[in-house]
Amino acid sequence: MNIKKIFVVMTIMVFVFAMTGLAVAKDTLVVNTYTSDPAPRKAMQELVVQYEELNPEVDVELNITAHEDFKKAIRVWLSSDNPPDVFSWFAGNRAEYFVDKGLIMDISDVWESENFYEKFPKAFQSISVFDGKAYFLPHNYYWWSVFYRESIFAEYGLEEPQTWEELLTLGETLKENGITPFAIGTKFRWTAAAWFDYLNLRINGHDFHMKLMHGEIPFTDERVADVFKKWKYLIENDFFVEDAAAYSWQEGLQFLSRGDAAMYLMGQFILDATSEEVSNDLNFFRFPIIDASVPVAEDLPTDGFMVPAKAPHPELAKDFIAFLGSVEGQRIFGEDLGRLVTNKDMSADIYDATTNKGRTMIEATDKLAQFYDRDMSPELADKTMNSLMEFWHNPANYKQIMEQMESHRQRFID
Amino acid sequence: MELTIKQKKKIRRAAIFTALLLFVLVWLLPVFGALLTSFRTMDDLMNNGFWRMPEKITFKNFGTAWSEGRLNRYLLNSFIITIPSLIGTLALSSMVGFALAKYKFKGNMALYLMFVAGMLIPFQILLIPVFKLSNELGIYNSYWGLIMIHLVFQMGFCSFFLRNYMITIPDELSEAARIDGASEFRIFYQIYLPLSKPALAALGTLEFTWIFNDYIWALVLLRDDKLKPVTAGLATLKGNFITSWSVLVAGAILATLPTIFVFIFLQKYFIKGLTMGSGK
Amino acid sequence: MKRKFVPWMFLLLPLILYTIWVIAPTIYTFYLSFTEWDGLTSPQFIGLENYKYLFDDPTFYKSLINNLKWLIIFLAFPVVVGLFLAMLLSQDIKWARGFKASIYSPMILAPVVIGLIWSWIYQPQGGLLNNTLTYIGLKSLTRGWLSNPETALYAVIGAAVWRHTGYVMLLFLAGLTSISPTVIEASKIDGASAWQRFRFIILPLLKPTTVIVIVITMIQSLRAFDFVSMMTRGGPFNSTNVLAFYMYSEAFRNYNMGYGAAIAVILFLIMFVFIALYLRQIRKGELE
Repeated sequence: MNIKKIFVVMTIMVFVFAMTGLAVAKDTLVVNTYTSDPAPRKAMQELVVQYEELNPEVDVELNITAHEDFKKAIRVWLSSDNPPDVFSWFAGNRAEYFVDKGLIMDISDVWESENFYEKFPKAFQSISVFDGKAYFLPHNYYWWSVFYRESIFAEYGLEEPQTWEELLTLGETLKENGITPFAIGTKFRWTAAAWFDYLNLRINGHDFHMKLMHGEIPFTDERVADVFKKWKYLIENDFFVEDAAAYSWQEGLQFLSRGDAAMYLMGQFILDATSEEVSNDLNFFRFPIIDASVPVAEDLPTDGFMVPAKAPHPELAKDFIAFLGSVEGQRIFGEDLGRLVTNKDMSADIYDATTNKGRTMIEATDKLAQFYDRDMSPELADKTMNSLMEFWHNPANYKQIMEQMESHRQRFID
Repeated sequence: MELTIKQKKKIRRAAIFTALLLFVLVWLLPVFGALLTSFRTMDDLMNNGFWRMPEKITFKNFGTAWSEGRLNRYLLNSFIITIPSLIGTLALSSMVGFALAKYKFKGNMALYLMFVAGMLIPFQILLIPVFKLSNELGIYNSYWGLIMIHLVFQMGFCSFFLRNYMITIPDELSEAARIDGASEFRIFYQIYLPLSKPALAALGTLEFTWIFNDYIWALVLLRDDKLKPVTAGLATLKGNFITSWSVLVAGAILATLPTIFVFIFLQKYFIKGLTMGSGK
Repeated sequence: MKRKFVPWMFLLLPLILYTIWVIAPTIYTFYLSFTEWDGLTSPQFIGLENYKYLFDDPTFYKSLINNLKWLIIFLAFPVVVGLFLAMLLSQDIKWARGFKASIYSPMILAPVVIGLIWSWIYQPQGGLLNNTLTYIGLKSLTRGWLSNPETALYAVIGAAVWRHTGYVMLLFLAGLTSISPTVIEASKIDGASAWQRFRFIILPLLKPTTVIVIVITMIQSLRAFDFVSMMTRGGPFNSTNVLAFYMYSEAFRNYNMGYGAAIAVILFLIMFVFIALYLRQIRKGELE
């Protein structure tokens, strides 16, 4: 082949590409989110379109990155001189961590001017306001519970278990009929962390749980061993699907969809990912009570938005934040995704029956947590979740696992 | 029964042939598997398994990966990044190769060894500083950040390769030109560069696939989805279509189209590049 | 006098760029490895702390051992099989060209692409491997290849081997063509058996190629990143972690940039041994 020709063609291509690159010089608002599953992706896109219609002079560029990649990439974005203007993020330690590092813009003025101090329930201030300044915009939240196939329960005459013993009995019945009690996919680990959260909340209560999450209690504490013992029983008695670690949480769903498994401990967003037929057959119950003397607590993760300190277009970003906190900016997430939204002015009849049932459940809850890797420092969470996976593989070793988790905590507090 | 040497040889060849055929069939199983997957639906695969006749053949997976999965955008980005890097690195390296091959000067050997070492170092050692550098130069999250690191990092191998090629070109030509009063740059540009065409073609083909296949730099130096090359794009696809393996595999196949093109049409250069570079 | 500057005229721009993007960063990483740096505030000098921590870090050792396993398997399988295939294919065999092309075709694919396809092959439900095993009556062998810590590393290496073997074969084929046929013919006349011929004639003549192959293989196995990142991200619980990936995840996921730099330095030092070997081989070639 003629080298010269190839060179000429390549050079022309480069110029063409360079020109197309130059053409985009208009000021745009860059929004990066992790709403990558089809349903939330669509909701987020619609939200942006809605905003653009209200503000025809603004061009929003929405970059959607898969959840796991997003968590990894965010720090690079924030520490670069060229961050997005707005990004979606998790409330809790994960948010506070960035605020402490000075990476997040103070949006108190938006909270003031839009009166979010009044419009959001007071509880959201503790996760959004640090040292008197607001940094986080809580947008929507969802509950965790045990989702189950109504048809399977009906077929074997089962009822929603209220207590641990009832859950175990129910599991035995399912197994006798060739159905695995719990579907799960632990490839990205946090689905397993949910089990730790719930067992710990039910056995040791909210105060203990939060202290443990904040690294104030050693993992070698006997009370943590109680958690692992209960969990070990479930794993060793085949309450979970085989090879759980091979699947993402969405892949884990296939067991539920096919009816090979009956239940899945998951957040409300499970309904985003199931087919309509399965969604209609899914119901949920509160994670069973283990110790009746322990006040009931739930994981209630809140998702929201933040503005990086170095955001190129702070004014546009703040305007978008104001929109996200408004009733209009939250409607789609409530209506289409069934999330609970933070603005109190939102009329309750936008929610469907399932979401309203979730609301009722939360209202009867004493204490709230965010989630394992949202309450704990990200690095400690990352390392200890590895330990949880190791425990899952070899539950008999839980004592050693506890020591391993403790050594991570020791390094963390140093 | 006595076999003649010729017969023996024939049987031996036939045996080797059969063994190789079987080996190659097994060896290519992943490729067949991928093709088979990409034309089927997930439900079909889950219900019937791999080794049953598919219920129906579909091209939808490719369409989904191409437009919804944004493979179209990612592939374009790959070209935008690869082509300038390739041209730049070949241009600069041929200069280095020429200087190292044709001039005796102090430090020649040291520079040569430095470039060789440079092509072998683990690029992990460069990740953090280059991320920081790109950020400070304002080319983080742009094509340029990636183009520059590819262009410069690949110079190690290319200089090594071209130097070794040019050293085999006889000196008589340049001597004659010099007597005619040609400048050194003209000697390089009009004599050595044209004579190095075979090496440049081989190297270019090889480097094309290498730069095209890069993943880690795209991971570190880009933020926006719209800038990602196809390798990083595939990782995004894996996150977004986490349960649809048939779409993912279709995406993987689409992502390899350019390199398959290279494989089919420029195979000769590719192999020459590989073996010339390390055959020394 | 003027002639002295001529080579530098050609070298100036490339060397400036090379210094900025390769040499300075390498040195800077050495410096960073003595600091604590979160990538945001400025690096704090902490002396040898990172290295102390490193030599006490089980994940570091785990990754190092995994790298070693990777290396051993890479030396055993692709090199031996690659040589064997090259010996077979250098003969006059029907379809030899097609066979060669089929065997080395994987190496043209990006590791990311191969990683993705092999992840699917290893998928416990619906994947090619378990399906095939079930189909041929070996259901008992099926498992979650990438989720089981006993098999995950080997499964990842398997995908990498698939890519690397063809490369080795090509290098040996090139080496074999440089051996003059008369040497081989002469040995045949002397009545040497095929094995003797291979052991005492061909193998010694292939030595330069073999050295290159071994060095390249070692460097490839120490650089391993893409497969791990795409297939397992080092999991389950670090059972497939390797130094290159551990460095990346410490630096860019946990933002221990200083610690990541220390891992990179160790990786660099290990590889430097092989790089030095390679440089020596090259210098030897130059002096001849």
